[in-house]
Amino acid sequence: MEAVRTQDVGVNDLPWKIEYHADRCTMCGSCVASCSFKAIKVAVQAQSITVSEDSQPKPIHKHIARPVIKQVASLKDFCRGCGMCEKVCPNNAIKPVRNPDSRKTLLSRDNGPIKRGGRTNLNAQRTLDHIVVGRISQMTDPSLDSVRHTFDIRSPFGRVLSPKELPFEIVDGKLIQKTKTPPVRWIYPLVFSDMSIGALSTRAWEAVALAVGYLNTQCNIPIRMSSGEGGMPVKLLQSDYLKYFIIQIASGHFGWNRIIKAMPFMKTDPAGILIKIGQGAKPGDGGLLQSEKVAEHIQAIRGVPKATLSSPPNHQGLYSIEESVQKMHLSMNAAFGFRVPVAIKCAASSTSVSVYNNLLRDPYKICGGFFIDGIQGGTGAANEVSLDHTGHPVVSKIRDCYLAAVKSGSQGQIPLYGGGGIGMTGNAAADAFKMICLGANGVFCGKILIQLLGCVGNEQGRCNACNTGNCPTGICTQNPRLVKRLDIDRGAQKIVDYVLAFDAELRKLMAPIGNSSLPVGRSDALVSTDYNIADKLGIQYVC
Amino acid sequence: MLKIETMNGHERMSTQDLLLQIEAAVQNGETDFEIAASGQHDIGGPLWHPEGKTLHFHITNAGQRVGSMCLSNTEIVVEGSASADVGWLNDGGIITVKGDAGDTAGHCSSGGKIFIGGRAGTRSGSLMKHDPLYEEPELWILKNTGSFSFEFMGGGKAVVCGIDSEQFDSVLGERPCVGMVGGVVYVRGTISAYPKDVRCLELDEEDITFIDGGLDDFLNHVERSELRDELTDWSQWHKLRPLTFEEKQAQTSGRISVHDFRLREWVKGGIFSDVAVDDFEVHDTISRGLYRLKVPSWDNAKYAAPCEFSCPTGIPTQRRYDLIRLGKTDDALKLELEYTPFPGSVCGSVCPNPCMDGCTRGTIDEPIQIGALGLKSSFVEVEAPKVKTDKKVAIIGGGVSGLSAAWQLALKGHEVTVYDDSERIGGKLEQVIPRGRLNHEILEAELKRIQHVGVKFITGCKVDRAKFDTIRAESDAVICATGGHKPRYFNWKGIEHLTMGIEFLKAINRGERPKVGRHVVVIGCGNSGMDTCRGAYEMGAETVTAIDVQKPAAFAKEIAYIEGLGGKLIWPFMTTEITAEGIYADDGRFIPADQVIVSIGEAPILDYLPDDPSIKKFRDTWLIPNADKSIMEGVFATGDTIKPGRLTDAIGDGRKTAWYVDRYIRGEAPLQFPQKTRIPAERLSKAYFDKCHHCELKDPVDDHTRCVSCGTCRDCKMCLESCPEKAISRIEKADGSWEYISDPNRCIGCGICAGVCPCGVWSIEDNLEPINMYRNGQRSA
Repeated sequence: MEAVRTQDVGVNDLPWKIEYHADRCTMCGSCVASCSFKAIKVAVQAQSITVSEDSQPKPIHKHIARPVIKQVASLKDFCRGCGMCEKVCPNNAIKPVRNPDSRKTLLSRDNGPIKRGGRTNLNAQRTLDHIVVGRISQMTDPSLDSVRHTFDIRSPFGRVLSPKELPFEIVDGKLIQKTKTPPVRWIYPLVFSDMSIGALSTRAWEAVALAVGYLNTQCNIPIRMSSGEGGMPVKLLQSDYLKYFIIQIASGHFGWNRIIKAMPFMKTDPAGILIKIGQGAKPGDGGLLQSEKVAEHIQAIRGVPKATLSSPPNHQGLYSIEESVQKMHLSMNAAFGFRVPVAIKCAASSTSVSVYNNLLRDPYKICGGFFIDGIQGGTGAANEVSLDHTGHPVVSKIRDCYLAAVKSGSQGQIPLYGGGGIGMTGNAAADAFKMICLGANGVFCGKILIQLLGCVGNEQGRCNACNTGNCPTGICTQNPRLVKRLDIDRGAQKIVDYVLAFDAELRKLMAPIGNSSLPVGRSDALVSTDYNIADKLGIQYVC
Repeated sequence: MLKIETMNGHERMSTQDLLLQIEAAVQNGETDFEIAASGQHDIGGPLWHPEGKTLHFHITNAGQRVGSMCLSNTEIVVEGSASADVGWLNDGGIITVKGDAGDTAGHCSSGGKIFIGGRAGTRSGSLMKHDPLYEEPELWILKNTGSFSFEFMGGGKAVVCGIDSEQFDSVLGERPCVGMVGGVVYVRGTISAYPKDVRCLELDEEDITFIDGGLDDFLNHVERSELRDELTDWSQWHKLRPLTFEEKQAQTSGRISVHDFRLREWVKGGIFSDVAVDDFEVHDTISRGLYRLKVPSWDNAKYAAPCEFSCPTGIPTQRRYDLIRLGKTDDALKLELEYTPFPGSVCGSVCPNPCMDGCTRGTIDEPIQIGALGLKSSFVEVEAPKVKTDKKVAIIGGGVSGLSAAWQLALKGHEVTVYDDSERIGGKLEQVIPRGRLNHEILEAELKRIQHVGVKFITGCKVDRAKFDTIRAESDAVICATGGHKPRYFNWKGIEHLTMGIEFLKAINRGERPKVGRHVVVIGCGNSGMDTCRGAYEMGAETVTAIDVQKPAAFAKEIAYIEGLGGKLIWPFMTTEITAEGIYADDGRFIPADQVIVSIGEAPILDYLPDDPSIKKFRDTWLIPNADKSIMEGVFATGDTIKPGRLTDAIGDGRKTAWYVDRYIRGEAPLQFPQKTRIPAERLSKAYFDKCHHCELKDPVDDHTRCVSCGTCRDCKMCLESCPEKAISRIEKADGSWEYISDPNRCIGCGICAGVCPCGVWSIEDNLEPINMYRNGQRSA
């Protein structure tokens, strides 16, 4: 018997419990060799029993010691429920099981606030799943055939002028353009959003980029990817593929030294610039890259030594929206010769509409897009309190912004993109379609991309260890031993296939409502059986 | 022949009236109809003659869906053009339109033949099907079709002859054959595009036979037989047919794979190739060698066993049992003498054996009998070292710490002389420990063994300052090991009534039988207090009471012995005054006694040391040596001159001091005395060991079956047999020792070796071998 104190940490205090069947275990070592969290170990278990096999009591003492797989009872090396053990076990002898009695979050603050990666685990309820496409054209007007019909699936990225503002004049009977207009690119309404090259492994980041290259050049899908704030690979900056990539600048300005140095060697303009003000998963908090992931190349590209890297919660040079317009937008526009659209990304917030209104009123007309990131977005690392307890749902915010623009007659002038939880329940096309009907020009997504690569994390607390550097799938880690686990081609192929299906599914939703172009703001196509949601969004309540 | 004129002046017959009239006529046996229609729909079907005769219709100005749902034995000829849906759902009729047909001609037809003498509209031929019980439907079109023709076609044959269609990009319009799964479309002339799941092929013999065979009938029906020659240049024809089910299964997107795209089109070497070396090879979750997540290591004797760690002398008992297990019991008993000269006197007799308190086996059942094992080394002989150094070490004080240091240094070949002021060497063991606790024969044997290895004893030699200086001058190093001999007590009232415990005990051991009172109080309930009580009883006291200000610090065994003799321990007792009648406490308690002996410890007497301000002292009493135990150049301190302690503490300290002295006199750079950390309990697998009954404890030598061998390999081969990859091998060395190694090319880093090792020798740790994957991006020159 071992001495156990009631305050000792036991496996029942942890979020996942290992269910192990010694009778099926062959002690092949696969599970323990595969577990990147050191959450299981080998131990020897004894059975010391006295039996009687005679017709009367005749004690025979038996002592059997055998090796078993045992869960580690530790708040540091605890099971994340990733299930690699289950995946590799040849005999179905082991698997993690969710523990409803976990006390882990209560006990884990010895070294300050809990930090983790992933997503909110307390706000997984979804507005979009309460909305269905309810206006199916049948007798009233002909529905389209999603397969045969020509659909125009493009969204503007860049500042769109109202017809009255277009600088046309007639000279000698000819229509000529008097002055330059802001650049506008027509892109796919699904943007791969900002995951930095520090947050993702080189392979994972490249897999997503590779899918972008493939979709554009092989499938004619003009999908764009935002770099995230950790810089861009120089080889990509200097390649023709740059035109499919949006370069992000965030408060840490990480990686911009190499981006600027690459400018003279760029063969093409980037697709756009995205100024990240905040992110939905942890609004009001800056980027966070735990030292475990700051490998040599990250140190070099970011120009920092090995350390935990926190981006400031604010852009250091900014004090107001007006200043952000002046400084960031003007400079970013200027840097690329006013040829590249510059957009801004903010965390969804009670104040999003005010920000959007201000941007719409900007006299320079150089904000090329407003990206709103909702509470269900993901992150590589954050304080758990921020992940679970801060944020704002994105759906009503997109709607509010759109309606505010409608009210002032300026809808469509600054394209609206919504993100944060797109595709969370599996169908990003449905989510995108509903968001577009509510007023978005497009959506952006990140988490589902890494899930397609192989990430097993979810909103119910599974894995969420992106901050540890121990990602079991080689996606959110810089540990070469784990990075090697990721098949870049297979991962990229999965993303490609998903987007191709997304494209077909989007048509499947556009066809029945009779739209051959994106139904931006066609909220009449949506209904909800939830009265409050219907009321808030101004869509039909049905039951 | 029934002629129906549907216009009567400006009155037009309704479709309903027309169709009912036709149906009634058919029921009455009529077979031939001449209908001057005015746009009425659905003329011609579904109708059947009561006797099965063929029905003939000749129609002008037909409306929509002429010939819809026609059954076989119906023949329709439409003069001029017809509206939409000619032959919709035609199920067997022969329908001829001499002019153009509207949209969706032949839509869903599943039998019969439709002949169009002009153009056909959009979606013509869509959803044609073929029921295998019947003949397949045919749709013949002389000119061309509108867009979206033959959509979702499932069966039958269509022939589009392309006459008078040169002005069109495609004789089938745009996007023909979408969703087509069956049937065939023969086409003469240009076609712009067709879906990927449709094949456009040259005609084969069978195709030509079909068209050639049916062409006359078609041209006759549409009255254009002059076109036969023009239409029989088969090189102008193609056929469109959908992929078969099997072909579709095998079909690919036609795009290159992402893998090939990366290799052929993507940024060469990958976009991170300037900062990350990556061959893009994919590893399983289970890797060997460099890519294992964890690596095992055989850390034999890296950690101290709890017994070794708990023993101030540092005796590794697990190693003794490993030797016993190998049948080398003599070596095992000799091994202890490398650590202490007093295995019998101390380990086996007076030591409280903290080793046993720490023993892992004690957490299973009973600790290993380490003290008893020590006793077995009492009379083991040790050879004097053959190789001598010419270094001289003088040790002032012949107690346990001095003798421990002397023993170690003599075994290293140094010339060691021990000076003691008493007549008999041995310090407290000789002078103070009651003979009842320590067999004097063992002590004497062990003292002789010390002399046997070359230590010289000079007894009855009081070392004063002058003598010290002389000794220091003659020696390479001096060790101060004079212990504590100055009794300590507090400034109570009546101290003149006190007897000093140490003097009392010394007198007993000298055989002087000192005078003792009838009723004795001993101040101090530590071990020396208990020894004093024992001495008082032995000298004839009737009652002995021991008092202390705090909980008695003596070992339970010693207390029990005194209590067994009738002694009492009283605490807390704050002494205030001692009188000839007894002793008072601050709370007024009084214990009558005719003798009060104080035994609360002794302080060192260091009057022989020079007045050197560099010698630091604690409370002006105990020496504070430097990290290497020196107090002055070449002068070291050990034992109770530094801190009061147990005998084993003194032996350990003597050994440690000797280690530093040895390095000093050899002129070696100062190092830290090597000290292992205690093996973490969780590294050990106690589950192998079955609990034994207390009564089953046998000879301490037999405890080798019970010893866990904490931290030291017991050569059980559990690891070797358990390794799933058979990566572990055992290597036997020339000296009989062994080593286990794990082959990195086999090992997957599962840690089963570490998990099953009873002794905690195998470790499994993160694989820290660097993989130089990342760089800063600097171009190599």
